[in-house]
Amino acid sequence: MEPIAGADGIVPSRRQLFMGMLQVALSSFGGGLSAWSQRIVVEQRRWMSNEEFITGLTVARLFPGPNQINMAVYIGARFQGLAGALVALAGMLLLPFSLLMLLGLAYFYLHIVPAVDRVLAGVVAAAGGMALSMGFKILDEYWRDAVALTFAVAVFLALAVFHVRLIPVVLASGPLAMAWYWPRGKAAGGP
Amino acid sequence: MSAVCHPADLSDWRQLLAVIWDFLSLSLFSLGGGNTLLAEYHHLSVGQYCWLTDSQFADIYAIAEAAPGPSSMIVGLLGMGAAWREGPGWALLSGVAAEAAILLPSTLLMVAAALGWNRFKDSPWRIAFERGMGPITLGILFAVGLKILQTADHGPLAYGVSVLVCVLMLRTRISPLWFMAVAGVLGGLGWINR
Repeated sequence: MEPIAGADGIVPSRRQLFMGMLQVALSSFGGGLSAWSQRIVVEQRRWMSNEEFITGLTVARLFPGPNQINMAVYIGARFQGLAGALVALAGMLLLPFSLLMLLGLAYFYLHIVPAVDRVLAGVVAAAGGMALSMGFKILDEYWRDAVALTFAVAVFLALAVFHVRLIPVVLASGPLAMAWYWPRGKAAGGP
Repeated sequence: MSAVCHPADLSDWRQLLAVIWDFLSLSLFSLGGGNTLLAEYHHLSVGQYCWLTDSQFADIYAIAEAAPGPSSMIVGLLGMGAAWREGPGWALLSGVAAEAAILLPSTLLMVAAALGWNRFKDSPWRIAFERGMGPITLGILFAVGLKILQTADHGPLAYGVSVLVCVLMLRTRISPLWFMAVAGVLGGLGWINR
């Protein structure tokens, strides 16, 4: 990681926040949203240092909500409070959400066309594979932790086999897992 | 597969409020980036309110994954499907409202987190939350993956494509758009059926 100068005392205005997030969304149309966000916010516009940006990503991943959207909220809120968060969110979502709504209108009009339906049958199979890969991606982190695996298996069984809804499952298992992983002693923080 | 499903009547304001409440309350449970809610979205839109059929839900999931931007925008498409009977104008409005409902609570919490992070950084609550929620997210993601697979695939070749894409996603850095494009062509040729 190359060293990058600090935030240079720049405080972006609401308008700049909106335009910056619009640029991130536009640049990432081929994918790689968080990489683009880092390039534009840290390297081009120099709103934040790299360390600050990474702290933001940590917070964005920790809290509920889509990671990239949370990151936009974090950047906006840090400089302009709630209003900044909302304009950053609007900038991030405006183009992709408008496009998605157009695709949705086209889909609901056209999905009776057999050719569209056949193409989608293929795309859907690929998307199913992507959904399946999400769990495997973080499995490595917990492979050696028997308690973590027990929690994961219990949650999986409750949802997939016993068809319990998500909210009660999280409300029951969450506090138990937090109690187990509660940092003990003064040297808290290490794994 | 689905039991008795009572279609929601969105012109009844009590039902409308119930739907909005469902999305608002799910918002804070979107752990691990939001994909953990997919099975709940399926339950709401196919099982509980019957806005969509099983295969429509699978189509919408694929469209949201293939489109640029955060994939959690699928909620906008669910909202659109919910009001499609009322015409495209209402469908658009409903799509925007559904997306706003799912984003609002998590956004407000995130604003509070961004402003108060320094006080919270070394709190034992944060450490316990971060480490405790990981295994739970893991369990949810496998349940969601299985659910989407069951919803999406019916033929053996479709399952084969899904497993292959899953392996390629984990082993290579190829953009998923390529997998979707190739699978779309295979589907168009009539090789992948449902």
